[in-house]
Amino acid sequence: MGKEKQEIYSIAVNGTKDIERVDTERSDEGDGKEKRKRHSKKDHQKELKKDLDLDDHKLSTKELEDKYGTNIVQGLASTRVAELLAQNGPNVLTPPKESPEIIKFLKQMVGGFSSLLWAGAVLCFIAYLIEFSKDKSASMDNVYLGVVLIMVVILTGMFAYYQEAKSTNIIASFTKMIPRKAFVIRDGKKREIPAEHLVVGDIVEIKGGDQIPADIRILASQGCKVDNSSLTGESKPQSRTCHITHENPLETKNISFYSTTCLEGTATGMVINTGDRTVIGRIALLASSLGHEKTPIAIEIEHFVHIVAGVAVSIGIVFFIIAICMQYRVLDAVIFLIGIILANVPEGLVAAVTVSLSLTAKRMAKKNCLVKNLEAVETLGSTSIICSDKTGTLTQNRMTVAHLWFDKQIYQADTSENQNDQIFDQSSATWASLSKIVTLCNRAEFAPRQESVPIMKKVVMGDASEAALLKFSEVIMGDVIERRKRNRKVAEIPFNSFNKFQLSIHETEDPNDQRFLLVMKGAPERILEKCSTIMIHGQEQPLDESTAEAFQTAYMELGGLGERVLGFCHLYLPEDEFPDTYTFDVESMNFPTSDLCFVGLISLIDPPRSTVPDAVMKCRSAGIKVIMVTGDHPITAKAIARSVGIISANSETVEDIAKRLKIPVEQVNKREAKAAVVSGMELKEMSPEELDELLIYHTEIVFARTSPQQKLIIVEGCQRQDAVVAVTGDGVNDSPALKKADIGIAMGFAGSDAAKNAADMVLLDDNFSSIVTGIEEGRLIFDNLKKIIAFTLTKNIAELIPFLIFIIAGVPLPIGTMAILFIDLGTDVIPSIALAYEKAESDIMSWKPRHKKKDRLVNHQLALYSYLQIGILQSVGGFFAYFTVYAVQGFKPDRLLYLRPLWENGILNDLEDSYGQEWTKYQRKYLECTGYTAYFVAVMVQQIADVIIRKTRKNSIFQQGLFRNKYIWVGIASQIIIAVILSCGFGGIPILNFITLWVQYWFVAVPYAIVIWLYDEFRKLLIRRYPGSWWDKTMYY
Amino acid sequence: MAALQEKKTCSQRMEEFRHYCWNPDTGQMLGRTLSKWVWISLYYVAFYVVMSGLFALAIYSLMQTIDPYTPDYQDQLKSPGVTLRPDVYGERGLQIFYNVSDNTSWKDLTQTLHMFLSAYSPEAQEENINCSSGQYFIQKEFHAPNHTKFSCKFTADMLHNCSGLTDPNFGFEEGKPCFIIKMNRIVNFLPSNNNTVPRVDCTFLEKDHKDFKPLEVDYYPSNGTFSLHYFPYYGKKAQPHYSNPLVAAKFLNIPKNKEVIIVCKIIAENVSFDNPHDPYEGKVEFKLKIQK
Repeated sequence: MGKEKQEIYSIAVNGTKDIERVDTERSDEGDGKEKRKRHSKKDHQKELKKDLDLDDHKLSTKELEDKYGTNIVQGLASTRVAELLAQNGPNVLTPPKESPEIIKFLKQMVGGFSSLLWAGAVLCFIAYLIEFSKDKSASMDNVYLGVVLIMVVILTGMFAYYQEAKSTNIIASFTKMIPRKAFVIRDGKKREIPAEHLVVGDIVEIKGGDQIPADIRILASQGCKVDNSSLTGESKPQSRTCHITHENPLETKNISFYSTTCLEGTATGMVINTGDRTVIGRIALLASSLGHEKTPIAIEIEHFVHIVAGVAVSIGIVFFIIAICMQYRVLDAVIFLIGIILANVPEGLVAAVTVSLSLTAKRMAKKNCLVKNLEAVETLGSTSIICSDKTGTLTQNRMTVAHLWFDKQIYQADTSENQNDQIFDQSSATWASLSKIVTLCNRAEFAPRQESVPIMKKVVMGDASEAALLKFSEVIMGDVIERRKRNRKVAEIPFNSFNKFQLSIHETEDPNDQRFLLVMKGAPERILEKCSTIMIHGQEQPLDESTAEAFQTAYMELGGLGERVLGFCHLYLPEDEFPDTYTFDVESMNFPTSDLCFVGLISLIDPPRSTVPDAVMKCRSAGIKVIMVTGDHPITAKAIARSVGIISANSETVEDIAKRLKIPVEQVNKREAKAAVVSGMELKEMSPEELDELLIYHTEIVFARTSPQQKLIIVEGCQRQDAVVAVTGDGVNDSPALKKADIGIAMGFAGSDAAKNAADMVLLDDNFSSIVTGIEEGRLIFDNLKKIIAFTLTKNIAELIPFLIFIIAGVPLPIGTMAILFIDLGTDVIPSIALAYEKAESDIMSWKPRHKKKDRLVNHQLALYSYLQIGILQSVGGFFAYFTVYAVQGFKPDRLLYLRPLWENGILNDLEDSYGQEWTKYQRKYLECTGYTAYFVAVMVQQIADVIIRKTRKNSIFQQGLFRNKYIWVGIASQIIIAVILSCGFGGIPILNFITLWVQYWFVAVPYAIVIWLYDEFRKLLIRRYPGSWWDKTMYY
Repeated sequence: MAALQEKKTCSQRMEEFRHYCWNPDTGQMLGRTLSKWVWISLYYVAFYVVMSGLFALAIYSLMQTIDPYTPDYQDQLKSPGVTLRPDVYGERGLQIFYNVSDNTSWKDLTQTLHMFLSAYSPEAQEENINCSSGQYFIQKEFHAPNHTKFSCKFTADMLHNCSGLTDPNFGFEEGKPCFIIKMNRIVNFLPSNNNTVPRVDCTFLEKDHKDFKPLEVDYYPSNGTFSLHYFPYYGKKAQPHYSNPLVAAKFLNIPKNKEVIIVCKIIAENVSFDNPHDPYEGKVEFKLKIQK
């Protein structure tokens, strides 16, 4: 499967040849075609054909009417609608195929340890059947145990399923939030219907702000502009008309696609595709056909299950054989096997892990990371490469004034989110003029009724640059609208791509000045052409060579920062030529547009979010590579990358080095450059090997002018380096990349539903720094899961050893199976969950991300330390409690050895103890239960020490703070309370085998608990003292 | 994640495993070099030695603190258990079935009794003293040889007709079998707080045998009593030669060819026989079927 996919994607890289062969009429690089190619490879031959047949843009209105059996004026008839609806289904995207709930539920029942427990339960029933066949009055204990085991499996399965379902539901509700409506003409009447009910041939009307409800062919348009960013990643508004402008249906302006947004204007169109047959629908289908990969944590847990199951099964089998060799009955050997399996399986762990993950997921949701799949919580923590979008994620997604140039000097403007801190020199008279031009030569306006909204948050009607200038002047000079009123506009030429300038003529606010003021802004070189003078410190000076050079330098510099530069100039029209009553005619241009006075430059940029540089720094120190992938121009991309630190201040690209050394780019040693800016065109030419090389040798990479498809190639390249890749995306076209990534992150605001569906996580505030906080949480939970598992595994040995000693040394059984279950599912559950609340031991973001193949969740250090050191210590403590109970009642340890045949002999009712007292069977059984309870309590007491030592892996408990994590104490209290209840309350229930234990026995294991704690402190001390030593390597888990 | 999903062939896995077992490049066996294995083994050996030492020390000090003569706690042995000889167990508890006319069916039973009583022969009881006080034999000091306490003799002949001396067949042959009832030893246990003598009382289990005549029993020693001078028991260390007093019951009117259930209780103030969980506490119940 993996290989096949790779092939498919590689065609997208250098697939031009293929495309030409298949479809010669299409010209070049259409993104859509690459998509189609993949479809064709996916054996979607039929769909491909249909795809190629999409020629509706070439048809005339009449032909369209015929083709779809509709009428442009009257719309479809309701009867036909019903027919089509039945035939094609509703106009919705089929949600990604989910496996049925029951399958999900059953999966929880058989995965992981469940199968071991099932085996245990089956063995229980087999044991009972053997016994029953021999003796009709066989005890039901084994049946009870089997039933309990099955209940444990079912309950933990239900619990895990519930947690999983709960987190999935968050997203489900998220997608369903906005009901869509569409205006449609049917039976000659216009009405509003839910968008799902649209059918092919419907005539729909759209207006600014609407989302396009289906793929439509535009029939009529009034200044309609659409935002295709969700489809192509191109954020510039594109106009839509009813004329065919391109052969390619994706390029032509008379087709508008499902889920894109109409920004302004209105249009009428005919629905040509609905639901899954829309272009978007097809991409979404492709994305959902990419299989879900296993998350790193799932792999880790599987690995851990393998270890534990391996240990359980091998010890079980070895001792089964030993038991047979020691001439135990087969039935007994089977029962030992059950005990060994039961002791080895951490029954409560699945629940604890699930709860911990969902706690973290909740915490992350508070920090604006909504996690769809619980396991993604940890995936984020092991992320080693983030491929981030630029617009909106790293930047604020709005144009903002960044620099000004006047008086031959560059001034910097505040680009932070609230811009309240404009500190550049505003005393110059030039600024007064410039500010006037900025204010007046601007068509943008604030939308009404938002007086109470802070300026930067106000909605502006108008294009992005104008909005930026409007807000800029509003912040600095106050009421812009009032000022515009005082300087009444008498004429205006709006910006167009031919003129490349915008001009307006105003009366001045000074009542004594009867002149008109002509203000103009536009592309700097065009503005400069029209000027003959320049204003310096309020004085008009002729525009000489040196000034022009200064202008050029400034223009280049600002342009080099990736900023959009605008030039501003003005002219006071002489009063004699243009009196009060003069009528300006914009058609004939009866006013001068040359020999103006140049005032200044203002450059605009979509500035980085203020929190991003910090977040990128954090990633860097955390060893996470941040790669910017953007559709923007390389220069802009590089500038933003530099300002947020993705390219650090002192690193250079190959081009930079070439420029510095003044040698051709080809001669530069590529390895010297830390940074690289790669454009989509270059990426297209690269072989996978070259891409690998690029990703390995450059630490700071920016991909510019990339198509969303190329994102997929980049992600794949990163994954070839064994990296765990996080990808952000919002467009529908991003969804395959999101799916492909180890963790796909969709944007909550800007993201399309398809992207959210494909992603593992949704970023509610679209902010890059939220990812970083998410990573922190993910890393923390990985550490804490280690602690939880170490805590849980430890007592498994203390549960296992009694069985082994029981078999080998023939002592009465120290702990029963029920008591084991009560430790695993009773006393230990809450403390292990409490460990999930543990704070990080040190700066978690200063470590390298874990290597997904080398840094295992359960490594051999953890297993050895838990199993062979602390676990054994616990067993010793437990046995001491056990021996104590027997000794003080009359059976000294030496008497117990090999006593088992007599002890368990049901017909021996006068068994002598060390004092010569004689015990009946029942009296012995009662003592045995006292032993179980004592051993249980001893393990519980030592598990208190265990949970305390597991708070840290390296630091002393006192460095971590004993009381910082209050939940630990809740956990400890729960351990004690549960044990007390079991010992006191359930003493009377025979199958539970608990006995009310005297107070003094509760303290027998306390010295061992203290030893455990001291030993672990000693271990940690040596680890801190001698990092890198043998001890550190052997003992640090 | 093509990398994670790649399926390895079996031979690849075997190769990897071999590489794991012995890696010629780094000289690692099972993931560690030889010297590392030595080090880690040494550490674990040392760790376990220390731990065993700790455990031994703990057990040693435990043994030091407990009383060698009397168990520290006797809360679980409040009332003695009762056992029966001969003891043949069937599916549910004791059941003694035999045929009067078939020697072999009861020979084993009498053999068991002979074996059991061999510990009560005069030779076996030689170390013990004769007692006849009928009072609790309280000994505060260790006056017996080797710092022990005296035990009272109980010899088989005290069981008269059921001693096996006069009738080696213990009455089995004539359908009037002897059964020996023994009360379990408990250190420092006194059957009653005054001087009431504990005695054995055997009856048919009432609920099952309403239509029978009451069971006629001859008890040996007379009245089926355990003489008080066998109490209290001071434990194995203080009374190494102590032997439990016995009571023999000879059943005289067992209906033939019929399964009967007989319960023998010990009637004494400190002996309870109504523990629902323990069928052998203070009483012994058995099925008896004598065929003819």
